[in-house]
Amino acid sequence: MPAGAPSLAERFTRWRFRHRQAFEGWLILTPILLYFSFFFLFPLFSSLALSFTRWSGLSGSPVWVGLANYIRYFSDSSYVQVILNTALFAVAILLIQTALAFFIALLLNEKIKGRGLFRAAWYVPTLTSAAIMAQVASVFIAPNGGVINSVLLSLGLPPIIFYVEVGWMRVIIILFSVWRGVGGPVILYLAALQGIHPELYEAAQVDGARRRDLLRYITLPLLTPMTIFVLVTGVIGTAQIFEAVMFMSKGGPANQTNVLMLQIYQDAFANSNIGIASAGAIVLGLLLLVSSLVNIRVLSRGQIAS
Amino acid sequence: MQAQATFSPAVEPPKAKRRKVRPARIVLYVVLIVLALVMAFPLLFGVAGSISTAEDYIRTPWFPIPYTPTLENWSLLLSDSTPVWQWVVNTLIRAGWYIVVPAIVAVMGGYALSKLKFRGRDTAFIYLLASLMLPPIVYLVPTYVMMARWPLAGGNNLLGQGGQGFINEWPALLITGWVNVFYLFMFRQTFSTIPGDFEEAARVDGAGTLRCLKDVYLPMLKPTLVVLFIFQFVAIWNDYLWPLFVSTGNKDIWTMSLGFQMLANSGNYLKGLPATTLDYPFLFALATFSILPLIIMYLVLQRFFVEGVQGFAIKG
Repeated sequence: MPAGAPSLAERFTRWRFRHRQAFEGWLILTPILLYFSFFFLFPLFSSLALSFTRWSGLSGSPVWVGLANYIRYFSDSSYVQVILNTALFAVAILLIQTALAFFIALLLNEKIKGRGLFRAAWYVPTLTSAAIMAQVASVFIAPNGGVINSVLLSLGLPPIIFYVEVGWMRVIIILFSVWRGVGGPVILYLAALQGIHPELYEAAQVDGARRRDLLRYITLPLLTPMTIFVLVTGVIGTAQIFEAVMFMSKGGPANQTNVLMLQIYQDAFANSNIGIASAGAIVLGLLLLVSSLVNIRVLSRGQIAS
Repeated sequence: MQAQATFSPAVEPPKAKRRKVRPARIVLYVVLIVLALVMAFPLLFGVAGSISTAEDYIRTPWFPIPYTPTLENWSLLLSDSTPVWQWVVNTLIRAGWYIVVPAIVAVMGGYALSKLKFRGRDTAFIYLLASLMLPPIVYLVPTYVMMARWPLAGGNNLLGQGGQGFINEWPALLITGWVNVFYLFMFRQTFSTIPGDFEEAARVDGAGTLRCLKDVYLPMLKPTLVVLFIFQFVAIWNDYLWPLFVSTGNKDIWTMSLGFQMLANSGNYLKGLPATTLDYPFLFALATFSILPLIIMYLVLQRFFVEGVQGFAIKG
């Protein structure tokens, strides 16, 4: 039976090949999943559990307080202010940053001399640590001898005391965050722009399309998936705004520019209240989850409509 | 008049053409240069400030002009009176560790999640992906508690009580974050763009899985590895929150960003001057020094970067 033996052997090899895949697959994935569960699932559940307790984190053991931490988060006016501030900053920074990144990527995609250097300039702020850049920014907004106020004075305008004026402080925090965060989306949009086939533009031009039409009917629709990606991943970043506030305003004046991340940090380490810090973390997590889902829903519907 | 009129038709067409193209071009360049200067302004400000004397620095507040350039701040910064080199070494150790380990995990895991077919694979992938929805702060505090309560470490007993665990010790800076789901996802996407034919051909030649990964896939994964390298190097170099949590009490293991905060205000003190005012030129020397490695790295790797981002963000 020369025909039967090879087929049996072949079947065996095939079976072993399939077996090999499962064996090697689990050999690789098991340690990854174990490690991941240990450092993700376990802390996640203890965070959830701790959010229902009162605990200093230093000594003693957690005391069950039920929903008290959450109730405080949504009724205490200073905590409500913190949530509103976070939402305001997250949305403002995200929208300005994405629109700017789109516009800049279009410019940087033109055939220009020294393109690499121009592109690098946009990524420099993203590369640099927020801790360092916020320190540098604080030089600009210092009340006496700060760069902005010196310029205002030399123009004969009244100086702005950023540490007192909430509105201006917010503007500065938003500008700083946009300036720091715009580099990533620029790179993503550039990558997407370079993925568009030039033939599409050429074909449209042959059909008599103007530059404006090319942008409206080719570039914009083709960049929609990237816009969804930038907005969804972006909100996760902007809602976790921390260093800009920590180093420039420390949440002040009177807690009016404080944000969730900084509040959590202050609760956990300065106020030694792990319970409410954990509740804050869960609140932030839920806000992010909801906003990502809404983002995906709304944007994918918009894409279908257009 | 007449001469000009007869002259003009010959000249005008090209002129008109140029007029149509050129002003737009010039405007584009002006806009790009102005915007690039705005983006790079603090960096330029920092470099100029770091080589200014204290007098030059305050002379023109909107931008320091070093009339008498000085390297005083730089030599003070890089001298033995500051531990910056220690911080650089610490940060490089951490960066190297957090590039190599997550890269190995991501290559192996990405291969398993994309190229191997077995039951439960996609469930495992979704389980991992779910974590991307949550911000790290959710598990930051418990992870801190885990470090502090690690059994049999730093004076702790078997139940993790009594000592301070890994707090202010190296393990706290190295033990978390080996599995980075974002990179696993990124490599899985990249693997799925590579046809299986290459691996099959190598297997016919008798190569095992590790050989295939090393000789077949690794060369093709280079752009994605560059992206991981840049992201991780930047992330670790700038990582501030976690070192602040777990290493504030031990100056020997401080990283650059933590050290920066601690040293930022001590320029006048180091110079033996009254520390009533902030020594801005020193601060800017320190800031420029902390940023420089990242900028050099980015300029060197930039050309692979867009290509790498494209590899997983567009095709994937």
